[in-house]
Amino acid sequence: MPTLSDLGPLALDLGLLGALLLVFAVDLVLPHGRKRVLGLLTAALLTALFAASFTTSTAGSAFGGAYVGSEWALLFKRIALAAGALATLGALDHVDRHFPTRQGEFFLLLLFSLLGMTLLPGARDLLLLVVCFELMGIPLAMLASFAKADDTTGTHRHAAEAGLKLYLVSAVSTAITLFGLSYVYGLTGSTRIATIAAAPVTPLLGLGMMFTVAGMAFKIGAVPFHMWVPDTYQGAPVPFVAFLSVAPKATGLAAIGLLLSVAFREQRGPLLGVMLFFVVASVVAGSLLALPQRDVRRLLAYSGIAQIGYMLMGFAAGTVRGTAMLLFYVAGYAATNLGAFLVLEAVTPGRPGPTLEDLRGLSRRSPWLALALLVFLLSLAGIPFVVGFWAKLSVFLAAYQAGLGWLVLFGALMAIVSLWYYLQVAKAAYLDDPPPEERAPPPAVGAPLALAIWICLALVVGMGAYPRPFLESAATAAQSLAGH
Amino acid sequence: MSPLYTALLCTFLPLAAALVLVLVSPLRRAGLAAGLFSVATALIAFGGAVTLLLERWSGAATPVRETVRWLPHAGLGGGAHARAVIELGVQIDGISATMLVVVTAVAACVQIFSLGYMAGEPKPDFGRYFTWQSLFLFSMNSLVVAPNLLQLFLGWELVGLVSYLLIGYWWSKPSAARAAMKAFWMTKLADMGLILALLVLFVDTGSFDWTVTTSAAGAVTLLLFFAVMGKSAQFPLHVWLPDAMEGPTPVSALLHAATMVAAGVFLVVRAFPLFEQAPTTGLVMAYVGAFTALFAAVIAVVQTDIKKVLAYSTCSQLGYMVAALGAGSQVGGFFHLTTHACFKALLFLAAGSIIHGVHSNELSHMGGLWSRMRVTSVAFLVGALALAGVPGLAGFFSKDLILEHVLERGLWAPLGALLVAAFLTAFYMGRVTLVALFGRPSAHAEHAHEGGVSLLAPLVVLAVPAAGVGWLGAKLSGLYAAPVHFHLSPVGMVATGLALAGLGLAYWMFGAPQGGGRLRAAFAPIGRLARSGAVNARFAWGYGVLGGVSSIFAWFDRYVIDGLMNGLGYATLALGARLRGLQTGRAQDYVYVLVAAMLGVGAYGAFWSR
Repeated sequence: MPTLSDLGPLALDLGLLGALLLVFAVDLVLPHGRKRVLGLLTAALLTALFAASFTTSTAGSAFGGAYVGSEWALLFKRIALAAGALATLGALDHVDRHFPTRQGEFFLLLLFSLLGMTLLPGARDLLLLVVCFELMGIPLAMLASFAKADDTTGTHRHAAEAGLKLYLVSAVSTAITLFGLSYVYGLTGSTRIATIAAAPVTPLLGLGMMFTVAGMAFKIGAVPFHMWVPDTYQGAPVPFVAFLSVAPKATGLAAIGLLLSVAFREQRGPLLGVMLFFVVASVVAGSLLALPQRDVRRLLAYSGIAQIGYMLMGFAAGTVRGTAMLLFYVAGYAATNLGAFLVLEAVTPGRPGPTLEDLRGLSRRSPWLALALLVFLLSLAGIPFVVGFWAKLSVFLAAYQAGLGWLVLFGALMAIVSLWYYLQVAKAAYLDDPPPEERAPPPAVGAPLALAIWICLALVVGMGAYPRPFLESAATAAQSLAGH
Repeated sequence: MSPLYTALLCTFLPLAAALVLVLVSPLRRAGLAAGLFSVATALIAFGGAVTLLLERWSGAATPVRETVRWLPHAGLGGGAHARAVIELGVQIDGISATMLVVVTAVAACVQIFSLGYMAGEPKPDFGRYFTWQSLFLFSMNSLVVAPNLLQLFLGWELVGLVSYLLIGYWWSKPSAARAAMKAFWMTKLADMGLILALLVLFVDTGSFDWTVTTSAAGAVTLLLFFAVMGKSAQFPLHVWLPDAMEGPTPVSALLHAATMVAAGVFLVVRAFPLFEQAPTTGLVMAYVGAFTALFAAVIAVVQTDIKKVLAYSTCSQLGYMVAALGAGSQVGGFFHLTTHACFKALLFLAAGSIIHGVHSNELSHMGGLWSRMRVTSVAFLVGALALAGVPGLAGFFSKDLILEHVLERGLWAPLGALLVAAFLTAFYMGRVTLVALFGRPSAHAEHAHEGGVSLLAPLVVLAVPAAGVGWLGAKLSGLYAAPVHFHLSPVGMVATGLALAGLGLAYWMFGAPQGGGRLRAAFAPIGRLARSGAVNARFAWGYGVLGGVSSIFAWFDRYVIDGLMNGLGYATLALGARLRGLQTGRAQDYVYVLVAAMLGVGAYGAFWSR
């Protein structure tokens, strides 16, 4: 009979569940017109949970080993909670303006999805893993198509497309993951990761393993599972895209890390090959396809695909160090990309997101937004003094140490290509003249959104100036996974 | 104050100035006040740098190297190098103290000059310009005092970033924006060499220090040199430098003459212990440097824009430095960097003063300035003669040193190239000087007049070292190496003879102002050359041949080298546009791709696990 103390590793997730129920209850009693409180409440609760993650001990295992709390799980919980809190802050005004009566729905879905994200990295049972994945994924598809015909954004048709594509491709990939898992279960007689890790290598197990991982690759948008990404980013509410572009990717990488470093530890030879393929394909396709984009959201979508390629270099290295560097990259990328999309929301609130033309002359209309955007772009491009530089250098170093010198050279060359499109955005904001009709006053940015952008900016600059604590906690987390 | 704190003051005071200008917007928008504030901090930094140099000068001070732990081994190090710790810090020795003085002196002069030169700009733009200037001084100083390659790289990147902002300063000019993009992109391409060099060095030795012994010295130094080629504008990565002349002229004086482009050479001087371990890289550098020196000098002969002449001249002189370092002469390379910074900054500022007076960059719009702008003309003349290598002036000493070393190494082909370049340098500087200062005045030049004190004072100040710094060579080199003793060597005499011949030829061809009338008839086929000034008809054929060769080189540079670089870019862009067709936007296609990819991946896994 499990006791309450067994649930220690799940303390934060239970807290999140409590927060979810609280938001639900408050939504029921709040009158129309006061629903804005829900967003504030969500942000406050997520911030409190994030703070609690530094004081609560979550080590240990629960449910007879199906769930293991460790530094690894804790790091991902923190990333998810922080991303959730920042995205909530960024979305407050958007949701209040465009979906005034459905605010509870929006934030509840966000919280449900977050619950899946915080649970997943600790899962040590494949069934639990898949359930967490779906708990995360289904609310995301609903959020992507959140705009309706009666809303004021005028983007409902794109929104429907965004949600449908996300859902359809998600469903197919989940089906294939489950198909792969059926092989794994059939061959090993267990869904427990510890048991699977001890199973002998056979072709059928290899097939099952690859199907399982390929399904996960969909969520992180690695090429060739990336096609939903630009369409979804273009159609969904921008503050939600900010969240979508970082948190599920982190979780997807957590799942792949689990499979790679624990479940299929002994059989992972072909997995490393596939990781290499993902790296090359994602970096090439992401970088080249971003070049001709004029819509900044699509541009950032492809750039995100390329970024995933760089992150996967850490897995392709196949070492603990590689995993650690990937974790550091994920944390830095989360702060950067969230910030970049939030700036896009601030620049064109309530309109279909900005094209390069919309950004022209931003530095003169709104110097701080332009500066923030510039810093985020530099971080994405991997220029020193911001976190993106350390992130790229770290994964390059891990890959080089693992004997993948050619991959590093390739990554460095493609980074030059990517610099081109990041500079296109910076050029529009800094060097191009604003269009005449845009000489109007600068976009008014609400306080919560501005706060979220400032926090992202501080993180990006701070992690760039003093990456030490982040590198250390990434290293600890990676080691905790290697020791199961 | 201890040397450490002085060095920190030199580095961080300009950063503080930049931050104050960013944060205190009333000060920034005040215009002149912002400029004066920035100038004051630059002067204090200069004072600190001079103190550091004097301490070393007196021989009392030992090199200072203070570092703090920054990143733990758990982060970037570890594995085979579990003890490795990345440090941040300051290293003050003869090299960095000299470089600090050069950088802060030129920066202070350029900022004072800018007070007058940019006076017509709107006040907020003026303040913003000085914000970038202060930020640039910080980045350059942090590069100079760096105790290891990683920190040097951080400063190096920041310098590149700020140069992007400074070149693109004139936003309304599309050409300036394009030039800024290009300069940034091309130097970033080269910088990847530096990143890879850092990785290889670190994995091999567990350190970013330049004093380590490494088995991978060849790879590390070649990668480093690739970055140097980009930053210090060596063939074929030099194409961004002439384009960058679109920026304000004082910016060109600071970035493209004295400091930023010299950072590449400085990197080699700094990491010289690494380069000494790789003789092959030295050979490559000697040949690339000498070729660049010759190639750029040839192109400079036909340029009609005074800034373009100086830009190609900078490429050429940087080639000299690189060749010297390749020939194993740390002193030669660094001493030429020092002298070049003085006279080239002087030339650019004098050219800025001329442009300010004439309102044009074109040589054909100048002429007769000697009587109208006397101070500027004298300053320009001093700089030109120093660059040409006239005995007694700065350039003479450092060039002599370089040629001697190249000869000692028996590098005959580079030696020949450098000697021809010396001749051409004297010739094109003679041409510019004679046409601009003594030629027949054009309509533009009729009303030319000197600018204010802030334009002239830096010229007077810089003219002193441009003329005299060569005499300090023995003492300066003694600060970081065995002191060199200058004596007029045979090869030095040959070079001096060639330089005087170049000046003489220029005088013979451009010195006679009455040649203007016949010129147009004689040069109808080479119309572009005709605009470059009065040419004595008797030498039309000679100039025609030289000009022809030069034009061909310039064409090659403009359309083949530059075109190749651009073409690479366009090809990539086109590829991106073609690939775009794959994204059909139809959900069923996405599912097909998904299933196909999964089957492929699954088959691979099954096959592998056989």
